[in-house]
Amino acid sequence: MAGSTAFLAAKGLSKGFFGNPVLKDVSISLVPGRVHALLGENGAGKSTLINLLSGSLAPDGGEILMDGQPLSRLNPAGARNAGIAVVQQELSLAPDLSIAENIGLGAYPRRLGFVDYPELARRTAEVRDLVGLDEPLATPVGTLALGRRQMVEIAKALFRKPRVLILDEPTSSLSAHEAGILSALVLRLKQEGVAVLYISHRLNEVMALCDYVTVLKDGVCTADQPLAGVDAEGLVRLMVGRDAGDLFPKWEPNAAGDLLVDVQGFSSGMARDVSFTARRGEVVGIGGLVGQGQEDFVLGLYGALAAQAASATICGQKAPFSSVGAATRAGLAYVPADRKHEGLILPHSIASNLILPSLGRLNRAGMRDRSAERNLVSDLARRLTIKGDTARPVQALSGGNQQKVALAKWLPLAPSVLLLNDPTRGVDIDTKREIYLMLRSFAAEGKTVVLISSDTPELVHLCDRVTVFREGRAVATIARGHITEEAIVGAAMGVEVREQAA
Amino acid sequence: MPAPASSSASGSVMRNLLRNGPFLTLLLVAIVWIGASFFSRGFGTYGHLRYILELASIIGIVAAGQTLVVIGGGIDLSVGAVITVTAITLPMLSPAWDPTGIFGIVAVLALASLIGLINGIGAAFLKVPPIIMTLAMATLLQGFLVIVAGGSAVSVENAAVIWLGSARPGGIPADILLWVAVMVGVLLLLHRTATGARFFAIGANSIAARLSGVNVERTTLLLFTLSGFFAGLAGLLVLGMNRQGYVGIGDPYLLTSIAAVVLGGTSILGGAGTYAGTIPGSVLLVTITALITVVNASPGWRNIMFGGLILILLLLSGREKQR
Amino acid sequence: MSTLSSREPLFWAVQRQRNRGVIGLFVVVIAFLALYAYLFPGLFTLGGFSKFTQNWFPLALVAMAQTLLMMMGGISLAIGPLVSLGAVIAATVMGTAFGVTGAIVAVLLAGLVVGGITGAIVSYLRLPAIIVTLAGSFIIGGIALIILPRPGGVIPAGFSDFLAGHTPAAFGLLVVIVILWKLYLATPLGLGIYAAGDNPIGAFRSGVAVNRVRIATYALSGLLTTLAGLFVAAQTGSGDPVIGTPFTLNSIAAAVLGGVSFLGGRGTMRGALAGSLLLSVMINVMFFLGFPPVAQYIAQGLIIVGAVAIPQFTGRWRRS
Repeated sequence: MAGSTAFLAAKGLSKGFFGNPVLKDVSISLVPGRVHALLGENGAGKSTLINLLSGSLAPDGGEILMDGQPLSRLNPAGARNAGIAVVQQELSLAPDLSIAENIGLGAYPRRLGFVDYPELARRTAEVRDLVGLDEPLATPVGTLALGRRQMVEIAKALFRKPRVLILDEPTSSLSAHEAGILSALVLRLKQEGVAVLYISHRLNEVMALCDYVTVLKDGVCTADQPLAGVDAEGLVRLMVGRDAGDLFPKWEPNAAGDLLVDVQGFSSGMARDVSFTARRGEVVGIGGLVGQGQEDFVLGLYGALAAQAASATICGQKAPFSSVGAATRAGLAYVPADRKHEGLILPHSIASNLILPSLGRLNRAGMRDRSAERNLVSDLARRLTIKGDTARPVQALSGGNQQKVALAKWLPLAPSVLLLNDPTRGVDIDTKREIYLMLRSFAAEGKTVVLISSDTPELVHLCDRVTVFREGRAVATIARGHITEEAIVGAAMGVEVREQAA
Repeated sequence: MPAPASSSASGSVMRNLLRNGPFLTLLLVAIVWIGASFFSRGFGTYGHLRYILELASIIGIVAAGQTLVVIGGGIDLSVGAVITVTAITLPMLSPAWDPTGIFGIVAVLALASLIGLINGIGAAFLKVPPIIMTLAMATLLQGFLVIVAGGSAVSVENAAVIWLGSARPGGIPADILLWVAVMVGVLLLLHRTATGARFFAIGANSIAARLSGVNVERTTLLLFTLSGFFAGLAGLLVLGMNRQGYVGIGDPYLLTSIAAVVLGGTSILGGAGTYAGTIPGSVLLVTITALITVVNASPGWRNIMFGGLILILLLLSGREKQR
Repeated sequence: MSTLSSREPLFWAVQRQRNRGVIGLFVVVIAFLALYAYLFPGLFTLGGFSKFTQNWFPLALVAMAQTLLMMMGGISLAIGPLVSLGAVIAATVMGTAFGVTGAIVAVLLAGLVVGGITGAIVSYLRLPAIIVTLAGSFIIGGIALIILPRPGGVIPAGFSDFLAGHTPAAFGLLVVIVILWKLYLATPLGLGIYAAGDNPIGAFRSGVAVNRVRIATYALSGLLTTLAGLFVAAQTGSGDPVIGTPFTLNSIAAAVLGGVSFLGGRGTMRGALAGSLLLSVMINVMFFLGFPPVAQYIAQGLIIVGAVAIPQFTGRWRRS
C-alpha cells in the first residue's frame, strides 16, 4: 500500500467562465483506499472541479499532481492513461452500440487490428457481474432503462481498472437495489486500494460510505476534513453557509381568491388522470422524484404538449389550450427547467430575449417601436438588477442572471398564472433568494404560482400546498401545515411517513 | 439584430468589421471591380455595370427567400425547380383575354407561393427536415415539369413579363427597380417587424421560441411561402430576360442562391444574419462570373472560385457560430 | 479475419441486434422484388440479373457513402459531383500510359483524398458539414469540368464489358465491398462511427479519437463515391463531367429510406443497402407497369417525404 500519499492531488485550482469565477483556489487530494466525498449545492463548482481533474477542462490557475508529479497539460486521454476514471451525470454511452461495445469503448482489446470480440466478451463479463447487470452483452444500450445505463457507465469506468474513480451523483437515477449494489462496489474498491471521489446530494449515503469530505460553496472550499465526528446538520451548514430560514422569505398566508387553475382528469405525456387546483394568492408546489410526469403535466397546462381532460378551466377559459400562444393570451407564463435549451435563445442578446414574448404588442403602424422596446428592456433590467449592456449575448451571463432574464421576459405580459420548472437549478444563492421573494410577492399580488421543484426545502418553505407526483399520477396533495420534507419524500417514494408532533 | 454589439474600443472596431460578413463581401466586390476595370476596358462602363446588376437582381431576389429561410433555421433546395415551374407554366396561365399579362403573373406567383406553402407544411407539421422536404419537392416538380412541358422550350408572349425584362423607366432597368423594392421590403420585414424577429428566434432555438409563445408552425409556413414567392418572382425575371423557358432553366440558381446567402455572412445554422449581406453577395457572384467570361476561363474555374469563396468567407466570419 | 471466422457468439449476437428496426424494410424490399420478378421473369437469367444489379450497384455505393456520413450526424451535398469526378478521372487516365490499373488507382485515391480533406475541414475547422459539402460540390464539379469540359475520354471496351456487360461482376464487387465494410466495422475506428454519431462528447471522453474517426469516415465515403463514378464511366463507355448530378438526391433518398436518422447514429449499412435496392426495384417496376420515366421522380419525392414524415409524425413534438 502506498500509504497516505495521494494518487491524485490538486493545488490551488481556479477556473472561470465568461469572466465569472466558478472555482477559487481549491485544493483536494485523493488517497488510495479512501472514499472521499465532495459536497456542495448545485452550482457550487463540483462539476467544474471534476472536469478539471479528468482533463476535460484546463484550469486558469493552480496545478494537478499525479503521484506527486505535476501534470502540465492534462487532457481526457492523459487522465485515462494515468488511471483516472470518471462516471459523469451526462452519460458517455452510444445508444446504438451494445453493452459490451460500450464498456470497452476507447480501450478495445485488439487482435490484428480488429476488435477482439472473444476477449472483449470475457473482460466485459467480469465488470458486468461487478455492477449486477444481467442483460446479454449484445443488448444495445439504447434499449436499457436509465438506471441500467448508469450501471453500464460504471462498468465502463471499471473496465479500465482505474486507480482513481470519480463518481458524480451516481445514484440519482438508480433504484434502491441498484444503489445497494453500488455501495457494496465502492466499499470493495476501497479495499482494493482505489481512491474514490464520491459526489452526492444524498447525505445519508455520504455518511454511510465516505471517510473524508471536501465541501464547496460558491467555488470556495469550506471544509476539507475527515468525516468521522461530523454530523449531517453541520455539513449542510457548511454547504449553505446560512440557516435555511434565512434563505427563504417568511411565509405569510395570502387572502385566497377564486380558482385560476381547475383541472380534473388531466392527462398529457407521462402525466395521467391528474386533478389539480390553484387559487389566486397561492404558490402550489409540485414535488416528487425527477421525471415522474411533473414536467409533462405543466407543459400540458401550458398548451405545449397535447392534453386531454375530463374538465379543465384555466384563467376562466376552457382548457386544455391548443397552443402556447392560446395559453399565454389566457394569462399563463412558463419558465422551463432547461433554460439553456428551452428558456433562452443563448446566442441572441439579452434585449432580444427580454422582448421575445412581447413581440407584436409593441408595434406602431405594423413596425416594431424601437424606443418602446428600449424602455421596456431598460425597465426590466433595472427591476431585476441585470447589470451591464443588454446588447450582450445572454450566454455571457452567469446562471443566476440568465434565469432572471428567463423570468423577467414574462413580466410585461402580466401573467396571472406563473408556471415555474425548477427555477433555482444551477443558480447562486443571492439570485435564489431574489427568486423566492418574487414568487411570494407574485402570489401576494393575487396571482398564482405553480412551482415544480426537485429541491424539497423549496417546496416546504414556499408553498401553500404541494402535490406529489409518482409514475405520472398525482398521488398526494399536502396542505400547508403538513408540508414537511418527510411527507413529500415519503409520498414521492410511496412510503407512508407518520407525521411527528411539530 | 443578434450581431454582437458594436461596443467599446476602437481597436476592436477593425476586427469587428473584418468579422462582419456583409462588410467583407462589400469590400471584396469593390476590390474585384477596381481590379477588373484595370485589366478589362469594358468592365468599368455604365452599360456593363447595369448588365451585371440586372443579372444580380435575379440571384438577389431568389436569395431573398433563401436568406429568410436560412435565418429561420431551414434551407430551401427547391428554389431552382420553382423558377423552372414559373418559366414553364407562365405561357399556359396567361390567358388571351388579358393583354396586359397581369393575370398570368398573379397566377404564377400564387402557384410558386403554394409550392412554398407545401414545403412549409412538410417542414412544420410533418416534421420533415427542410433539406429533405425541399429536395423531395424539387424532385417531384422535376417529374411534373417533364410531363407538363414534354421537354420542349416555351416562348413568352406575356406583355408584362416582357416589359419587366426590357423596360427602363428613367434609364434604370425595371428588374433592378424590382430588386430595390424587394430589398426595402425584406430588410424592413427582417429588422423592423415582429415577424422578422420571430424568424431569428425560431432559427436560433425553435423550442425556446415556442415556449416563449412564438407560433413556430405559422412562422415556418410564412418563411417557406415567402421563399416560394421570391423564387417565382425571380422566375419571371429570368423569363423576361430570356424570352423563353425550358426544363432546367432554374437549376443554376439553387446553389448560387445559397452561396449568396453564405457570402453575405448569414449563419447557415440559422438565427443570425441579414439580407444586407446577401445583396453584395449576389453582386459578387455575378461579377466573378462576368470576370471569368472576360478572361475566357472555363466554367469549371468559376465553380471552383464560388466554392473557394464560400469556404474562405465561412472561415473568416463563421468560426464562432460552430455547432 | 479472425473475428469473423471464430464464430464468436458476442460478435454474431451484436450483428443480430442490428437487424432491429430494419426487418420491416426487408419485408417491403422482398415484396417489391417478388413483384418485379413476377413482372419480369427474365430477372433469373444471367443477363437479366446482371443488368438489374448493374443498375443497382452505383446507387448502392452512393447510398453507403451517404449513410456513413449520416451515421455521424453529417451529410454530403457533394456526392453527385464526386461521382462525376470519378467518372472523368477514369475516362481520362485510362487512355494514357497508366492504363486501366492506373485509372482505378487514381479514381480511388481521388475519392480518399477529397473525402479526407472534407472530413478534415469539418472536424478541425468545425464548420457545418452541409455548407462545407455545398462549397465542395462547386469545387469538385469545377475540377471535373476542367479535367473534361465535355463528355468524352476513353473507356476500353474490355473494361466496360467486364464491369457492365453480361456478367454479374458488379454484384460480386458489391459483395466484396460489403464484406470489407463488415471487417472495417469490426475495428475500433469502425465502431467509433457509431460512438461519434450517437454521442460525440461521450466518445471523446471515452478516448475515441473522434476527429480521426470522422476523417477516416469521410475518406471512406469519398472512396465509395468515386468508385460509383468509375462504374458509371464503364457503364456509359465515356466520362461525363455532370453525369453524377442526380446521385446527390438519390443517395439521400436511399439513406433516408434505409432508416438513417438525420441526427446521427441509428442507421445501418444494411438499411442503406435495402433502401437503395428498394429505390432501384421501384424504378424498374414502374417502368414495367408503363409509367413514364419521369414518374419515378414524383414517386421518389413522395417516398422520401413519407419515409421521414410518418415516423416523426407519430412521435412526440420534443426530443425524447
